[in-house]
Amino acid sequence: MQLNVFNEFQKSAIDQGVLFYYSGYFSQTIITAMGDALRQRLNNHLDASNVARRRLFSTFVELAQNVVHYSAEHLTPMNASNHEIRRGAVWVGERDGRFFVVCANPLQRSEQERMREKLEPLRQMSNEEIKSRYREQRHLDSEAQSKGAGLGFLTVARDASEPIEFEFVDNGDSENIMFYLKATI
Amino acid sequence: MNRIQIAATAATPEIDFDFAAHVLSLRGESYPENAQAFYGPVLAELEAYLATHTDRRITVNVQLAYFNSSSTKLLMSLFERLNTAALAGNSITLNWHYDEDDDTILEFGQEVADDNAALDFHAMALA
Repeated sequence: MQLNVFNEFQKSAIDQGVLFYYSGYFSQTIITAMGDALRQRLNNHLDASNVARRRLFSTFVELAQNVVHYSAEHLTPMNASNHEIRRGAVWVGERDGRFFVVCANPLQRSEQERMREKLEPLRQMSNEEIKSRYREQRHLDSEAQSKGAGLGFLTVARDASEPIEFEFVDNGDSENIMFYLKATI
Repeated sequence: MNRIQIAATAATPEIDFDFAAHVLSLRGESYPENAQAFYGPVLAELEAYLATHTDRRITVNVQLAYFNSSSTKLLMSLFERLNTAALAGNSITLNWHYDEDDDTILEFGQEVADDNAALDFHAMALA
């Protein structure tokens, strides 16, 4: 492999406003370490308000933990509920004065529709609707499939300044597709 | 009952439940991978303590900097247990410390207060 390929990669990341990028296996330890680095980076970022910093950190944690809980590629057993290690990627960037977080992970083909049904309504809701759904969901019992309180995506939508974006990309793998989600703070 | 003292980590709060002194404190960040695994044993001990008291002054100090979505539910059930104990005759003060820059923590506190009206709730801005 030519080292200048990495230089091209770095350059295009910078062109896209990427402050921070990680691809590989995710665990709670890795998320905590990345979160710490992200916070330090934000502390040096004079333009970021405290509210934007908090929202960015929250969105980063929710999306990164989502990879740990739900990516279809895992080193740990599929039915584990703690100390999990699963594969995915996360980008944190800044464009036109606003921060964004993108996460990506392989998802079983059979999960695609369920995921779409979860996310699409969030794109249609107003901020007020998202807030009131968030409050309701806090009180409801956890969804059977969910390791969180079913609150994760609502938390991301609540902290975003525009509708969340998502996409499923078919790379020809027989079992999995790639799932991408972007939240702009 | 044994005092519960758990040191803070990057992703879990400091917990100091001094049952003999009837002062329960929780402080820091809360975004463990599995909130149930972290809070479950603490809630079980809390419940055992509360079950033995009906006429007690109990002070609860909460100072959360950040909590993730899966912690939310466990935290809510912690406050529900305290509310039940207050309805059973205990006098429970909840001191809710929040950063004035962070509306999320204050909003959560106000919601906790609305849902658990038997708690004597005090919102306290951090200096």
